[in-house]
Amino acid sequence: MRRIVLVLSVLATGFVPLLARADGPCEGLSASQRAVADQVLASQHPYDACDGTFVECLKARPVAPLVRRLADWVCRKAAAGQDAAAITRSLEKRALSMLRPGKTVTMDLSAAPVAGCTEARVTVTAYLCARCPYCARLVPALHREVTSGRLAGRVALRFRLFPIKSHEHSTEANVAVAAAMSLGKGWEYLLRAYRGIDAFSTSVLSDWAADVGLDRGAFQAAQDSPATREAVVASKKEGLRNGVESTPTIFINGRRWLGDLDLDTLVDALEEEVEALR
Amino acid sequence: MGRTSTNAWRVGRDALIATVACSVIGLAFNAIRSDGIPLVASEAYDLFVPCPEPLGEVEGLAVTDPWVQDDRSLRIDARSPEEFAAWHLSGARNVPFDYLEGVPDEVVRQVAASGAVRVVVYGDGGNPDSGRELARELAGRGVRHVFFVQGGAPALRSSGREVPTGGAEEPR
Repeated sequence: MRRIVLVLSVLATGFVPLLARADGPCEGLSASQRAVADQVLASQHPYDACDGTFVECLKARPVAPLVRRLADWVCRKAAAGQDAAAITRSLEKRALSMLRPGKTVTMDLSAAPVAGCTEARVTVTAYLCARCPYCARLVPALHREVTSGRLAGRVALRFRLFPIKSHEHSTEANVAVAAAMSLGKGWEYLLRAYRGIDAFSTSVLSDWAADVGLDRGAFQAAQDSPATREAVVASKKEGLRNGVESTPTIFINGRRWLGDLDLDTLVDALEEEVEALR
Repeated sequence: MGRTSTNAWRVGRDALIATVACSVIGLAFNAIRSDGIPLVASEAYDLFVPCPEPLGEVEGLAVTDPWVQDDRSLRIDARSPEEFAAWHLSGARNVPFDYLEGVPDEVVRQVAASGAVRVVVYGDGGNPDSGRELARELAGRGVRHVFFVQGGAPALRSSGREVPTGGAEEPR
Protein backbone atom coordinates (compact mmCIF):
# COMPACT_ATOMS: atom_id res chain seq x y z
CA MET A 1 0.00 0.00 0.00
CA ARG A 2 2.75 2.35 1.01
CA ARG A 3 4.51 1.69 -2.28
CA ILE A 4 1.39 2.48 -4.26
CA VAL A 5 1.03 5.79 -2.42
CA LEU A 6 4.70 6.52 -3.05
CA VAL A 7 4.45 5.84 -6.76
CA LEU A 8 1.26 7.88 -7.12
CA SER A 9 2.77 10.82 -5.23
CA VAL A 10 5.87 10.76 -7.40
CA LEU A 11 3.80 10.66 -10.57
CA ALA A 12 1.55 13.45 -9.32
CA THR A 13 4.54 15.60 -8.42
CA GLY A 14 6.09 15.14 -11.81
CA PHE A 15 2.97 15.78 -13.83
CA VAL A 16 1.55 18.77 -11.98
CA PRO A 17 3.70 21.18 -14.00
CA LEU A 18 2.78 19.36 -17.19
CA LEU A 19 -0.94 19.73 -16.48
CA ALA A 20 -0.50 23.30 -15.35
CA ARG A 21 1.14 24.26 -18.63
CA ALA A 22 -1.51 22.76 -20.80
CA ASP A 23 -2.71 26.06 -22.30
CA GLY A 24 -1.22 29.45 -23.04
CA PRO A 25 0.89 31.85 -21.03
CA CYS A 26 -1.95 32.64 -18.62
CA GLU A 27 -1.88 29.07 -17.32
CA GLY A 28 0.79 27.80 -15.05
CA LEU A 29 1.51 31.10 -13.33
CA SER A 30 2.50 31.02 -9.70
CA ALA A 31 0.00 32.36 -7.19
CA SER A 32 1.70 35.76 -6.98
CA GLN A 33 2.09 36.02 -10.76
CA ARG A 34 -1.53 35.01 -11.17
CA ALA A 35 -2.57 37.75 -8.77
CA VAL A 36 -0.64 40.35 -10.74
CA ALA A 37 -2.12 39.20 -14.06
CA ASP A 38 -5.63 39.07 -12.60
CA GLN A 39 -5.25 42.60 -11.24
CA VAL A 40 -4.27 43.96 -14.64
CA LEU A 41 -6.83 41.96 -16.57
CA ALA A 42 -9.62 43.03 -14.23
CA SER A 43 -8.78 46.73 -14.31
CA GLN A 44 -7.37 47.46 -17.76
CA HIS A 45 -9.04 47.65 -21.16
CA PRO A 46 -7.69 46.43 -24.47
CA TYR A 47 -6.98 49.51 -26.55
CA ASP A 48 -8.94 48.18 -29.50
CA ALA A 49 -11.42 45.47 -30.51
CA CYS A 50 -13.47 45.51 -27.28
CA ASP A 51 -14.74 48.20 -24.92
CA GLY A 52 -14.78 46.26 -21.63
CA THR A 53 -12.03 45.22 -19.31
CA PHE A 54 -9.90 42.28 -20.32
CA VAL A 55 -11.88 40.02 -18.04
CA GLU A 56 -15.14 41.10 -19.65
CA CYS A 57 -13.73 40.90 -23.16
CA LEU A 58 -12.35 37.41 -22.54
CA LYS A 59 -15.86 36.21 -21.69
CA ALA A 60 -17.19 37.28 -25.09
CA ARG A 61 -17.54 34.60 -27.75
CA PRO A 62 -15.62 34.57 -29.91
CA VAL A 63 -12.78 36.31 -28.15
CA ALA A 64 -11.27 39.00 -30.39
CA PRO A 65 -7.77 37.95 -31.49
CA LEU A 66 -6.27 41.23 -30.25
CA VAL A 67 -7.84 40.72 -26.83
CA ARG A 68 -6.38 37.23 -26.59
CA ARG A 69 -2.98 38.46 -27.81
CA LEU A 70 -2.83 41.28 -25.27
CA ALA A 71 -4.08 39.10 -22.41
CA ASP A 72 -1.40 36.53 -23.18
CA TRP A 73 1.18 39.31 -23.29
CA VAL A 74 0.03 40.56 -19.88
CA CYS A 75 0.49 37.06 -18.50
CA ARG A 76 3.95 36.75 -20.00
CA LYS A 77 4.89 40.05 -18.37
CA ALA A 78 3.56 38.77 -15.05
CA ALA A 79 5.48 35.53 -15.50
CA ALA A 80 8.61 37.60 -16.11
CA GLY A 81 8.18 39.16 -12.70
CA GLN A 82 6.77 42.58 -13.59
CA ASP A 83 4.30 44.13 -11.18
CA ALA A 84 0.85 45.40 -12.12
CA ALA A 85 1.92 49.04 -12.36
CA ALA A 86 4.78 48.25 -14.72
CA ILE A 87 2.57 46.09 -16.93
CA THR A 88 -0.08 48.81 -17.03
CA ARG A 89 2.51 51.38 -18.09
CA SER A 90 3.80 49.03 -20.77
CA LEU A 91 0.26 48.51 -22.01
CA GLU A 92 -0.35 52.25 -22.23
CA LYS A 93 2.87 52.76 -24.18
CA ARG A 94 1.99 49.91 -26.49
CA ALA A 95 -1.41 51.46 -27.09
CA LEU A 96 0.17 54.81 -27.97
CA SER A 97 2.43 53.04 -30.44
CA MET A 98 -0.13 50.81 -32.09
CA LEU A 99 -3.29 52.84 -32.37
CA ARG A 100 -3.96 54.00 -35.90
CA PRO A 101 -3.87 56.53 -37.36
CA GLY A 102 -0.90 57.68 -35.32
CA LYS A 103 1.66 60.29 -36.16
CA THR A 104 4.02 59.00 -38.79
CA VAL A 105 7.47 60.28 -39.61
CA THR A 106 9.32 60.70 -42.87
CA MET A 107 12.32 58.51 -43.49
CA ASP A 108 14.52 58.16 -46.52
CA LEU A 109 14.62 54.39 -46.89
CA SER A 110 16.02 54.39 -50.41
CA ALA A 111 19.46 53.38 -49.19
CA ALA A 112 18.36 51.55 -46.03
CA PRO A 113 19.24 47.86 -46.29
CA VAL A 114 16.26 45.57 -46.03
CA ALA A 115 15.99 42.18 -44.35
CA GLY A 116 13.01 39.86 -44.45
CA CYS A 117 10.15 40.17 -46.85
CA THR A 118 10.70 43.11 -49.18
CA GLU A 119 7.04 43.07 -50.24
CA ALA A 120 5.72 43.03 -46.67
CA ARG A 121 3.02 45.48 -45.65
CA VAL A 122 4.73 45.92 -42.31
CA THR A 123 8.09 47.63 -42.18
CA VAL A 124 10.01 48.06 -38.98
CA THR A 125 12.83 50.58 -39.08
CA ALA A 126 15.48 50.85 -36.39
CA TYR A 127 17.68 53.85 -35.81
CA LEU A 128 20.81 52.31 -34.39
CA CYS A 129 24.44 52.88 -33.61
CA ALA A 130 27.05 50.33 -34.65
CA ARG A 131 28.67 50.70 -31.22
CA CYS A 132 25.49 50.35 -29.15
CA PRO A 133 25.59 47.28 -26.88
CA TYR A 134 21.81 47.18 -26.52
CA CYS A 135 21.42 47.23 -30.30
CA ALA A 136 23.97 44.43 -30.51
CA ARG A 137 21.60 42.23 -28.50
CA LEU A 138 18.25 43.28 -29.91
CA VAL A 139 18.89 43.89 -33.60
CA PRO A 140 20.46 40.53 -34.54
CA ALA A 141 17.64 38.76 -32.70
CA LEU A 142 15.04 40.84 -34.53
CA HIS A 143 16.88 40.14 -37.79
CA ARG A 144 16.58 36.40 -37.10
CA GLU A 145 12.88 36.76 -36.43
CA VAL A 146 12.16 38.53 -39.72
CA THR A 147 14.40 36.32 -41.82
CA SER A 148 13.76 32.87 -40.39
CA GLY A 149 11.67 33.19 -37.25
CA ARG A 150 8.19 34.13 -36.20
CA LEU A 151 7.98 37.11 -38.58
CA ALA A 152 9.48 35.46 -41.64
CA GLY A 153 7.69 36.41 -44.83
CA ARG A 154 5.52 38.99 -43.11
CA VAL A 155 7.78 41.86 -42.03
CA ALA A 156 10.57 43.91 -43.58
CA LEU A 157 13.33 45.17 -41.30
CA ARG A 158 15.40 48.22 -42.20
CA PHE A 159 17.92 50.30 -40.34
CA ARG A 160 19.14 53.87 -40.30
CA LEU A 161 22.38 54.94 -38.67
CA PHE A 162 22.31 57.17 -35.63
CA PRO A 163 25.83 57.34 -34.15
CA ILE A 164 25.82 58.04 -30.43
CA LYS A 165 28.65 60.42 -29.63
CA SER A 166 29.36 58.94 -26.22
CA HIS A 167 30.20 55.58 -27.80
CA GLU A 168 33.90 55.34 -28.38
CA HIS A 169 34.78 55.28 -32.10
CA SER A 170 31.13 55.57 -33.07
CA THR A 171 32.03 57.70 -36.10
CA GLU A 172 34.49 55.17 -37.47
CA ALA A 173 32.17 52.24 -36.80
CA ASN A 174 29.10 53.85 -38.35
CA VAL A 175 31.00 55.17 -41.36
CA ALA A 176 32.26 51.61 -41.86
CA VAL A 177 28.70 50.30 -41.86
CA ALA A 178 27.70 53.03 -44.31
CA ALA A 179 30.63 52.04 -46.52
CA ALA A 180 29.44 48.44 -46.50
CA MET A 181 25.91 49.65 -47.26
CA SER A 182 27.19 51.48 -50.31
CA LEU A 183 28.74 48.21 -51.46
CA GLY A 184 25.56 46.20 -50.90
CA LYS A 185 26.55 44.44 -47.67
CA GLY A 186 24.96 46.65 -45.06
CA TRP A 187 23.17 43.99 -43.03
CA GLU A 188 26.00 41.50 -43.27
CA TYR A 189 28.51 44.04 -42.04
CA LEU A 190 26.29 45.36 -39.27
CA LEU A 191 25.66 41.87 -37.91
CA ARG A 192 29.39 41.13 -38.10
CA ALA A 193 30.10 44.33 -36.20
CA TYR A 194 27.61 43.40 -33.51
CA ARG A 195 29.11 39.92 -33.16
CA GLY A 196 32.48 41.52 -32.54
CA ILE A 197 31.33 44.50 -30.53
CA ASP A 198 33.36 43.51 -27.48
CA ALA A 199 36.51 43.11 -29.56
CA PHE A 200 36.14 46.36 -31.45
CA SER A 201 39.08 48.38 -32.65
CA THR A 202 39.42 50.52 -35.74
CA SER A 203 41.97 48.04 -37.08
CA VAL A 204 39.39 45.26 -37.42
CA LEU A 205 36.99 47.20 -39.61
CA SER A 206 38.55 46.03 -42.87
CA ASP A 207 38.87 42.48 -41.50
CA TRP A 208 35.15 42.46 -40.91
CA ALA A 209 34.63 43.73 -44.47
CA ALA A 210 36.65 40.79 -45.74
CA ASP A 211 34.66 38.45 -43.48
CA VAL A 212 31.43 39.45 -45.24
CA GLY A 213 32.94 39.11 -48.69
CA LEU A 214 33.89 42.70 -49.46
CA ASP A 215 37.06 43.67 -51.24
CA ARG A 216 39.33 45.47 -48.79
CA GLY A 217 40.37 48.08 -51.32
CA ALA A 218 36.83 48.92 -52.35
CA PHE A 219 35.78 49.04 -48.71
CA GLN A 220 38.64 51.36 -47.82
CA ALA A 221 37.77 53.66 -50.72
CA ALA A 222 34.13 53.78 -49.62
CA GLN A 223 35.19 54.47 -46.02
CA ASP A 224 37.37 57.37 -47.14
CA SER A 225 34.75 58.88 -49.43
CA PRO A 226 33.26 62.13 -48.10
CA ALA A 227 29.92 60.97 -49.49
CA THR A 228 29.88 58.08 -47.02
CA ARG A 229 30.34 60.36 -44.03
CA GLU A 230 27.73 62.74 -45.45
CA ALA A 231 25.30 59.83 -45.71
CA VAL A 232 25.82 59.07 -42.02
CA VAL A 233 25.33 62.73 -41.11
CA ALA A 234 22.15 62.85 -43.20
CA SER A 235 20.85 59.75 -41.45
CA LYS A 236 21.56 61.23 -38.04
CA LYS A 237 19.93 64.54 -38.95
CA GLU A 238 16.88 62.66 -40.15
CA GLY A 239 16.79 60.82 -36.82
CA LEU A 240 16.97 64.09 -34.92
CA ARG A 241 14.09 65.47 -37.00
CA ASN A 242 12.13 62.36 -36.07
CA GLY A 243 12.81 62.85 -32.38
CA VAL A 244 15.40 60.11 -31.96
CA GLU A 245 17.60 60.58 -28.90
CA SER A 246 18.76 57.06 -28.16
CA THR A 247 19.42 53.77 -29.85
CA PRO A 248 17.71 51.60 -30.73
CA THR A 249 14.66 53.66 -31.62
CA ILE A 250 12.07 51.67 -33.50
CA PHE A 251 9.40 52.78 -35.95
CA ILE A 252 6.64 50.44 -37.11
CA ASN A 253 5.24 51.57 -40.45
CA GLY A 254 6.50 55.05 -39.63
CA ARG A 255 4.92 55.20 -36.17
CA ARG A 256 7.29 55.44 -33.26
CA TRP A 257 7.37 52.40 -31.01
CA LEU A 258 7.16 53.61 -27.43
CA GLY A 259 6.67 50.22 -25.82
CA ASP A 260 9.12 47.89 -24.18
CA LEU A 261 12.25 47.12 -26.15
CA ASP A 262 12.37 43.42 -25.43
CA LEU A 263 12.29 41.03 -28.35
CA ASP A 264 9.10 39.17 -27.43
CA THR A 265 7.07 42.35 -26.98
CA LEU A 266 8.33 43.72 -30.27
CA VAL A 267 7.58 40.51 -32.13
CA ASP A 268 4.12 40.40 -30.56
CA ALA A 269 3.43 44.00 -31.60
CA LEU A 270 4.64 43.32 -35.13
CA GLU A 271 2.39 40.26 -35.37
CA GLU A 272 -0.44 42.51 -34.20
CA GLU A 273 0.38 45.00 -36.96
CA VAL A 274 0.45 42.21 -39.54
CA GLU A 275 -2.98 41.01 -38.40
CA ALA A 276 -4.39 44.54 -38.40
CA LEU A 277 -3.35 45.08 -42.01
CA ARG A 278 -4.44 41.65 -43.23
CA MET B 1 13.43 0.12 19.72
CA GLY B 2 14.57 -2.08 16.83
CA ARG B 3 11.15 -1.74 15.14
CA THR B 4 11.31 2.08 15.41
CA SER B 5 14.75 2.12 13.92
CA THR B 6 13.63 -0.04 10.99
CA ASN B 7 10.66 2.23 10.28
CA ALA B 8 12.88 5.33 10.33
CA TRP B 9 15.23 3.71 7.87
CA ARG B 10 12.31 2.84 5.57
CA VAL B 11 10.91 6.37 5.72
CA GLY B 12 14.33 7.76 4.92
CA ARG B 13 14.77 5.36 2.04
CA ASP B 14 11.31 6.20 0.65
CA ALA B 15 12.03 9.92 0.94
CA LEU B 16 15.26 9.43 -0.96
CA ILE B 17 13.49 7.42 -3.65
CA ALA B 18 10.78 10.08 -3.95
CA THR B 19 13.36 12.87 -4.18
CA VAL B 20 15.37 11.11 -6.85
CA ALA B 21 12.29 10.09 -8.82
CA CYS B 22 10.80 13.60 -8.70
CA SER B 23 14.12 15.09 -9.79
CA VAL B 24 14.40 12.71 -12.71
CA ILE B 25 10.83 13.41 -13.84
CA GLY B 26 11.31 17.17 -13.41
CA LEU B 27 14.56 17.19 -15.37
CA ALA B 28 13.05 15.03 -18.08
CA PHE B 29 10.05 17.34 -18.37
CA ASN B 30 12.32 20.40 -18.44
CA ALA B 31 14.36 18.79 -21.19
CA ILE B 32 11.36 18.26 -23.47
CA ARG B 33 9.90 21.72 -22.93
CA SER B 34 10.54 24.10 -25.81
CA ASP B 35 11.27 26.88 -23.32
CA GLY B 36 13.00 24.76 -20.71
CA ILE B 37 15.03 26.43 -18.01
CA PRO B 38 18.77 26.32 -18.80
CA LEU B 39 20.53 24.33 -16.09
CA VAL B 40 23.80 26.10 -16.68
CA ALA B 41 24.00 29.82 -17.44
CA SER B 42 25.21 30.16 -21.00
CA GLU B 43 26.29 33.79 -20.61
CA ALA B 44 27.06 36.21 -17.87
CA TYR B 45 24.25 38.34 -16.58
CA ASP B 46 24.36 41.79 -18.10
CA LEU B 47 22.14 44.77 -17.60
CA PHE B 48 21.51 46.37 -20.97
CA VAL B 49 19.65 49.59 -21.50
CA PRO B 50 19.09 51.64 -24.64
CA CYS B 51 21.94 54.02 -25.37
CA PRO B 52 20.99 57.68 -25.03
CA GLU B 53 22.74 60.58 -26.67
CA PRO B 54 24.04 62.65 -23.72
CA LEU B 55 21.83 65.69 -24.21
CA GLY B 56 20.44 68.27 -21.83
CA GLU B 57 17.27 70.29 -21.86
CA VAL B 58 17.61 73.79 -23.28
CA GLU B 59 15.23 76.67 -23.88
CA GLY B 60 14.91 78.60 -27.10
CA LEU B 61 15.19 82.39 -27.17
CA ALA B 62 13.49 84.65 -29.70
CA VAL B 63 15.93 86.76 -31.71
CA THR B 64 14.47 89.81 -29.97
CA ASP B 65 15.21 88.46 -26.51
CA PRO B 66 17.48 90.88 -24.61
CA TRP B 67 19.60 87.98 -23.42
CA VAL B 68 20.83 87.45 -26.99
CA GLN B 69 22.56 90.84 -27.02
CA ASP B 70 23.33 91.00 -23.31
CA ASP B 71 27.05 91.49 -22.70
CA ARG B 72 26.85 89.04 -19.83
CA SER B 73 25.88 86.28 -22.29
CA LEU B 74 28.55 84.14 -23.88
CA ARG B 75 27.47 83.98 -27.54
CA ILE B 76 28.48 80.88 -29.45
CA ASP B 77 28.19 80.42 -33.18
CA ALA B 78 27.69 76.72 -34.02
CA ARG B 79 28.16 77.09 -37.76
CA SER B 80 31.20 76.23 -39.85
CA PRO B 81 34.31 78.44 -39.71
CA GLU B 82 33.55 79.65 -43.26
CA GLU B 83 30.04 80.74 -42.33
CA PHE B 84 31.36 82.28 -39.14
CA ALA B 85 33.95 84.28 -41.07
CA ALA B 86 31.29 85.59 -43.42
CA TRP B 87 29.03 86.85 -40.65
CA HIS B 88 28.66 86.46 -36.92
CA LEU B 89 27.40 88.31 -33.91
CA SER B 90 29.94 90.62 -32.37
CA GLY B 91 31.89 88.91 -29.65
CA ALA B 92 30.65 85.45 -30.64
CA ARG B 93 32.96 82.48 -30.39
CA ASN B 94 32.99 79.85 -33.08
CA VAL B 95 32.39 76.28 -31.90
CA PRO B 96 31.48 74.41 -35.10
CA PHE B 97 28.93 71.72 -34.38
CA ASP B 98 29.58 68.27 -35.78
CA TYR B 99 26.75 65.76 -35.91
CA LEU B 100 29.12 62.84 -35.42
CA GLU B 101 31.94 64.05 -33.20
CA GLY B 102 31.47 65.55 -29.77
CA VAL B 103 32.72 68.99 -28.77
CA PRO B 104 36.32 68.61 -27.51
CA ASP B 105 36.55 68.43 -23.72
CA GLU B 106 38.86 71.42 -23.69
CA VAL B 107 36.26 73.60 -25.41
CA VAL B 108 33.53 72.45 -23.02
CA ARG B 109 35.79 73.36 -20.10
CA GLN B 110 36.47 76.79 -21.61
CA VAL B 111 32.78 77.48 -22.06
CA ALA B 112 31.92 76.29 -18.56
CA ALA B 113 34.67 78.43 -17.06
CA SER B 114 33.92 81.54 -19.12
CA GLY B 115 32.31 83.37 -16.22
CA ALA B 116 29.32 84.38 -18.37
CA VAL B 117 25.89 84.52 -16.77
CA ARG B 118 24.47 82.39 -19.55
CA VAL B 119 25.49 80.74 -22.81
CA VAL B 120 23.51 81.66 -25.93
CA VAL B 121 24.11 79.45 -28.95
CA TYR B 122 22.97 80.14 -32.48
CA GLY B 123 23.40 77.90 -35.47
CA ASP B 124 22.23 77.44 -39.03
CA GLY B 125 18.54 77.62 -38.15
CA GLY B 126 17.89 74.45 -40.12
CA ASN B 127 15.92 71.36 -39.23
CA PRO B 128 17.62 70.13 -37.16
CA ASP B 129 19.17 73.40 -36.03
CA SER B 130 22.89 73.09 -35.31
CA GLY B 131 22.57 75.80 -32.64
CA ARG B 132 19.95 73.89 -30.71
CA GLU B 133 21.89 70.66 -31.04
CA LEU B 134 25.11 72.26 -29.80
CA ALA B 135 23.22 73.85 -26.91
CA ARG B 136 21.75 70.46 -25.97
CA GLU B 137 25.16 68.84 -26.14
CA LEU B 138 26.78 71.51 -23.95
CA ALA B 139 23.94 71.22 -21.43
CA GLY B 140 24.24 67.44 -21.46
CA ARG B 141 27.92 67.75 -20.65
CA GLY B 142 27.37 69.86 -17.61
CA VAL B 143 27.36 73.46 -18.85
CA ARG B 144 24.59 75.35 -17.04
CA HIS B 145 22.21 78.06 -18.26
CA VAL B 146 22.51 77.22 -21.95
CA PHE B 147 20.02 78.65 -24.44
CA PHE B 148 19.72 78.68 -28.20
CA VAL B 149 18.40 81.31 -30.60
CA GLN B 150 15.31 80.12 -32.43
CA GLY B 151 15.85 80.37 -36.17
CA GLY B 152 19.59 80.69 -35.73
CA ALA B 153 21.80 82.99 -37.78
CA PRO B 154 19.27 83.51 -40.62
CA ALA B 155 16.68 84.77 -38.12
CA LEU B 156 19.22 87.02 -36.44
CA ARG B 157 20.27 88.54 -39.73
CA SER B 158 16.74 89.10 -40.97
CA SER B 159 15.58 90.55 -37.67
CA GLY B 160 17.53 93.74 -38.28
CA ARG B 161 18.69 93.64 -34.67
CA GLU B 162 22.06 92.13 -35.35
CA VAL B 163 25.17 93.36 -33.71
CA PRO B 164 27.73 94.29 -36.38
CA THR B 165 30.08 91.57 -37.47
CA GLY B 166 33.24 91.35 -35.45
CA GLY B 167 36.53 89.68 -36.27
CA ALA B 168 36.66 85.92 -36.36
CA GLU B 169 37.16 84.69 -32.85
CA GLU B 170 38.17 81.22 -31.89
CA PRO B 171 37.05 79.67 -28.64
CA ARG B 172 39.25 80.81 -25.84
